[in-house]
Amino acid sequence: MQRQLIAFQAVLFRNVIELKRYAFNTISMLVSLYVMFMILFFGLQRLGGAALAAGDTLEGLLVGYLLWTMAIMAYSELSWDLNAQAQVGTLEQLYISPIGFGRLNAYSLLCNLVLQFGYAAIILAVLMVSTGKYLHVDLVSIVPLFIVTLMSAYGVGFAVGGLALIYKRIQAFFSIFQFVFLAFLTLPWAQFPWARFLPLSMGNALLREVMIHGRRIWELDPTHLMVLVGTGVFYLALGIMAFAWSERIARDKGLLGHY
Amino acid sequence: MLEVSHLSKVFVSGKNKVKAVDDVSFVVNRGEIVGLLGPNGAGKTTTIKSVLGITRPSAGSIKVGGFDPFAEPSKALSLVAAVLEGSRNIYWRMTTWENIVFFAGIHGVSHKIEKNYFDHLIETFKLVDKRSTEVRQLSQGMKQKVAICCALVKKTPLVFLDEPTVGLDIETSYELRGILKELAATEARTMVVSSHDMAVIQDICQRVIIMSGGRVIADDKIDDLLAVFRSRNYKIAIGKVLDNDVVEHLRKRFNDVEVQLRERKTNITINLPSAGDLYALMDFLREHNIDLETINQQDPDLEKAFVALVRKERERCNGNS
Repeated sequence: MQRQLIAFQAVLFRNVIELKRYAFNTISMLVSLYVMFMILFFGLQRLGGAALAAGDTLEGLLVGYLLWTMAIMAYSELSWDLNAQAQVGTLEQLYISPIGFGRLNAYSLLCNLVLQFGYAAIILAVLMVSTGKYLHVDLVSIVPLFIVTLMSAYGVGFAVGGLALIYKRIQAFFSIFQFVFLAFLTLPWAQFPWARFLPLSMGNALLREVMIHGRRIWELDPTHLMVLVGTGVFYLALGIMAFAWSERIARDKGLLGHY
Repeated sequence: MLEVSHLSKVFVSGKNKVKAVDDVSFVVNRGEIVGLLGPNGAGKTTTIKSVLGITRPSAGSIKVGGFDPFAEPSKALSLVAAVLEGSRNIYWRMTTWENIVFFAGIHGVSHKIEKNYFDHLIETFKLVDKRSTEVRQLSQGMKQKVAICCALVKKTPLVFLDEPTVGLDIETSYELRGILKELAATEARTMVVSSHDMAVIQDICQRVIIMSGGRVIADDKIDDLLAVFRSRNYKIAIGKVLDNDVVEHLRKRFNDVEVQLRERKTNITINLPSAGDLYALMDFLREHNIDLETINQQDPDLEKAFVALVRKERERCNGNS
């Protein structure tokens, strides 16, 4: 147990240092996310006409954008990080830790999840002030919803990270998922009823209920909550299984760490 | 400490199969410093990565301190540390101290408890001034030292050093060898050092395992291995340029002869497997009225032993195929 705690502290220590050393990168990421949203917001306001400006669609856009941002951060955390570690040559060192690569990865994700909430809070606050669209920020309701929703993004991250172990240079493939996530968030349930079982989709709907209409988590439809938890667990488990499968292939082919 | 038994690894890519490691067996006892030598593609790195659980073997068994690195990875890996790609194994945007703290930490070793030992290593590796410097700002030699430090701070009884001196200038390589020898003597750790640099192996290790074509072709104490090659090679200097006919005769009479014709002299390097061959050489020189200037028994070195063994193994393999 003490060894686990020391390892967790070490991972936290590294992640905080990297955050400090790459501060410019973090700031520019936040600025680009802000600028991108503002372009989207004013573009839609102008082009979308009265239907967009009058209803709750712009607030919906805000919720969706926030979730999309966090999903990309969660997903890229795993896939990009694995790729980067393989490139710089530190991946093998993580694999020969007696703590286990899986645990070290989990510790790193946990640390970064906290950071992500920090980033999301900054982005949300700035966007609300800039757009004049204020959302309900009920932490008791939105934090668990975000965590469960992001589980499916982590699942995708694990699966793609696994592919990165085998195929190495798949950065272009990584980028595609930004748009795939966008599709998950925007597919209308009325036309595509199965879309609610896709990653992020149910979470997006429930977060809208909470953040736009001010409902509390216990006031949400229990069936919807069950679908949310079910899809989150399903995609995470699927991603972890895909990662384990890729890892096995990488070990068999001697690809761990090779770049 | 380490037991590798009938280890084989076949890499399969489509229809191609490459046997990287072929029925390799060896034992490394506690406190030994063993060199792992071999030409490119000999299977050294695959063997090391199999021991570390990074590459899954096709057959055979591995025990690190009695634990299988695939069945009981946590127990096996808690006994082992490794530098696999030298300076590429550390974070370049972190400082020396930060790297040390991180890599010790993910091994469950606390920098708060082991601070004195960490400081001792930093001092031994002459990194005191570079403690707070980001690794990317260090020279190649310094980076290599940091990488080795990061492996040693884990305080494991078994350490693998894969090419610890690769890319270093002679002075730094020599310095690093000195440090490793000192640490090996004072800390009584088991070390497996893989290197292309024979001087490093000869300098640091007591025993050497030579691999070629995925197989172990020699496993002996360095002194014993060198003794096999001792008293066989001679360097002869002759104060005149030998005729081509004489050189031809010499080459026909003795198997392993190298002749260098200089402006006013001839240098001969000759392998004489038995004492009788030496007498035969003397007779040959007398018959051709050749006066010796000097004759020296060549000091055996690991490089020559290595080249001879690898060549012999290749000839054996070619003969079989």
